Amino acid sequence: MSRSAFLDLARPSRRHWLGYLLLLPAVLLIGLIIAYPLFVSVDLSFQNVGIPRLDQPRRPFTTMNYERLFTSPEFWNASWTTLKLVVIVSFFCFLLGLGTALLVNNRFKGQSLARLLVALPWAVPEVVAVVVFAWIFDSSFGLMNWVFIRLGLVDTTISWFSSPEAAFAVVCVTMVWKGYPFVSIMMLAGLQSIPEDFYNAARVDGANAWQRLINITLPSLMPVLGVTLILVMLWVFRDFSIIYVMTGGGPLKATQTLSIMTYEQAFGFFKMGYASAIGVVTLIVCVIASRLLMGRAPENI
Amino acid sequence: MRMLDWKRLAAAGLVTLGTMTALPALAQNKVLKFVSWQKDERGTGDWWGSVIKEFEATHPGVKIEWTKVERGAFADTMTTLFAGGQPPDIVHLASFEFQKFAANGWLEPLDPYIKSAKLDLKGWAGQDTCTWNKQNVCVMMLYFGYFMAYNEELLKKEGLEVPKNYAEFLTAARKLTKDINGDGIVDQFGTGHETRGGGGQYMSEMMNYTLDAGARWTDENGKVTINTPQMIEGLTRWKTIVKENLTPRDLAAGEVRQLFADGKIALKMDGPWLWPIIQKGKARDQIKLTTVPFNPPVGGSSNVLGIASEISPENKKLAWDFIAIATSDKFQSSYATLGASPPPDPRADTTGASKETPHFDLLVKATKAAADAKVDRIPKGLELQFNEFAKMVMEESQRMIIQDLDPKVVAATMQKKAETLQQQ
Repeated sequence: MSRSAFLDLARPSRRHWLGYLLLLPAVLLIGLIIAYPLFVSVDLSFQNVGIPRLDQPRRPFTTMNYERLFTSPEFWNASWTTLKLVVIVSFFCFLLGLGTALLVNNRFKGQSLARLLVALPWAVPEVVAVVVFAWIFDSSFGLMNWVFIRLGLVDTTISWFSSPEAAFAVVCVTMVWKGYPFVSIMMLAGLQSIPEDFYNAARVDGANAWQRLINITLPSLMPVLGVTLILVMLWVFRDFSIIYVMTGGGPLKATQTLSIMTYEQAFGFFKMGYASAIGVVTLIVCVIASRLLMGRAPENI
Repeated sequence: MRMLDWKRLAAAGLVTLGTMTALPALAQNKVLKFVSWQKDERGTGDWWGSVIKEFEATHPGVKIEWTKVERGAFADTMTTLFAGGQPPDIVHLASFEFQKFAANGWLEPLDPYIKSAKLDLKGWAGQDTCTWNKQNVCVMMLYFGYFMAYNEELLKKEGLEVPKNYAEFLTAARKLTKDINGDGIVDQFGTGHETRGGGGQYMSEMMNYTLDAGARWTDENGKVTINTPQMIEGLTRWKTIVKENLTPRDLAAGEVRQLFADGKIALKMDGPWLWPIIQKGKARDQIKLTTVPFNPPVGGSSNVLGIASEISPENKKLAWDFIAIATSDKFQSSYATLGASPPPDPRADTTGASKETPHFDLLVKATKAAADAKVDRIPKGLELQFNEFAKMVMEESQRMIIQDLDPKVVAATMQKKAETLQQQ
């Protein structure tokens, strides 16, 4: 076989090679920016290492980081906090997101402006949102304390960031405010894809608004709901900036999630091996959660 | 023959000319990297600028690439640079974080350079902190002592004298904390401390009270000494100040300083960096400075300068030249004037600074008082674990306040946790 014939990508038997060849740059790029750091992280998690150097010899293999991790109350506390945050924030994001989407899906005067306002928090950078909410909930000079006292709901100011429960609530409120517009936009797109005939037929059958919501809107939205739920949960699971800027994980680790714990161990205490172990566990949990939710999606569709 | 000589001479001339033009071109490419968080700081940033200017003037063809990295992201950035094998040539670090870099062997031992340059570090404030494995791995750039700033008008309104001890301070703070406009929200505070943010700053704030009570985190041999009657008293004082809301809650250090400068806080213990903030505040004409009512004052090492061990010998030499300029008596004197802070160099001429900064002698006095009492934020024996230790102290203190725990129990918990950290 001649050399040119071997490289002839136009031949039917070689045609699939062209596809692989065109995919190669993307595969290499993904390998470089995703797979390689991932491999390094997994490798570091099995070493007792403070600040690692890639040009230095590998430290001996050890499982001590994982042993320490699974026996650490701090890790279980961070896991519980993360779970609470994921459930609460996702639930309220869906509630608000679906509600606002149903609202702005109706035709009324100022609909465009209402849609813009609903989507606005999504466009605000996370750090800016945190600064605004930090001022609203400031313990000494914040708006919320002033409103509460004016309304007679409390006698004295609430130290929002000195109470574990209050700080957790403030983080949840901020995350819901920042996260619900995404759900709303996705739901709105889903709502607009539901054929009007479905509703007309239901009306002819005498279905009221609630029945139409339960029997037409929600089932039709299920495919969008599934994907959105995964994306929102993953966002809450790995979000760092809102919590870090707002509370730094405190007080008393009440808002310390796995992301915050990873960062603190890596760049606060310079324990990269231990931090990598937390990162690897976080990744595994994320993958399992996503897989479980994705696994349910086709049934819903 | 003669013709040949001419040719040789011409060739030699060309080579020489070529070399002479090529060398500066090569030298022109020499760039030393310097990363600092103080680039835009009023006073201190100007001083660093003057050191760079002098270095570039005395080293033609060598440029300093001065990059600013925010203090909050500084440790991360420096760790990444060093771990990635791209450290800055001139290493600027906080005095509580250089130990991790030194422990990794990333800082060049400076003793040979110090000896060669005959740099006299005797009496250099805070230089002991720079010793790692019995070698100097850095030069201390600032050692400070706290002073007390007070709002004279607020004190006068309440008929109060400037407090001279803790009891007077507590009385004054209680009287000065009040709801001015009657809306149910306290809008004037007796004193101000950071109670939210990093463990290091939180610990420094607490130390105003623990030091006055005679407590230390560790002794001279690095043994943990938290579970003592003195520390229990110090913790009790801290709990009183925070629990009674004599300080605004949940604010970062910068926010507290701004509130003080704007007249919302009456008494504030702080370091030399408070002065430029006061100058820009609404209450600047009402604010006066004096010594802290506590003994000894909080003090400690602030930032250090070193050389990365992995750079070329040529760059090490140039980086040392930079350090030599920064630590020269001339520039230490200008540090006092521009930075409005006492320089660590005992030979620095501070008469200019005393003329320009009215409170300069007070700063010198505070620094001396802290240095004489060997006060430092970084406890001996816990240098490598400082960040974890500071975080632990902050969390246990917060727990004491939030859950209303007995300081005796808290001191015992802290002692146990600190000992565990030390054994890691």
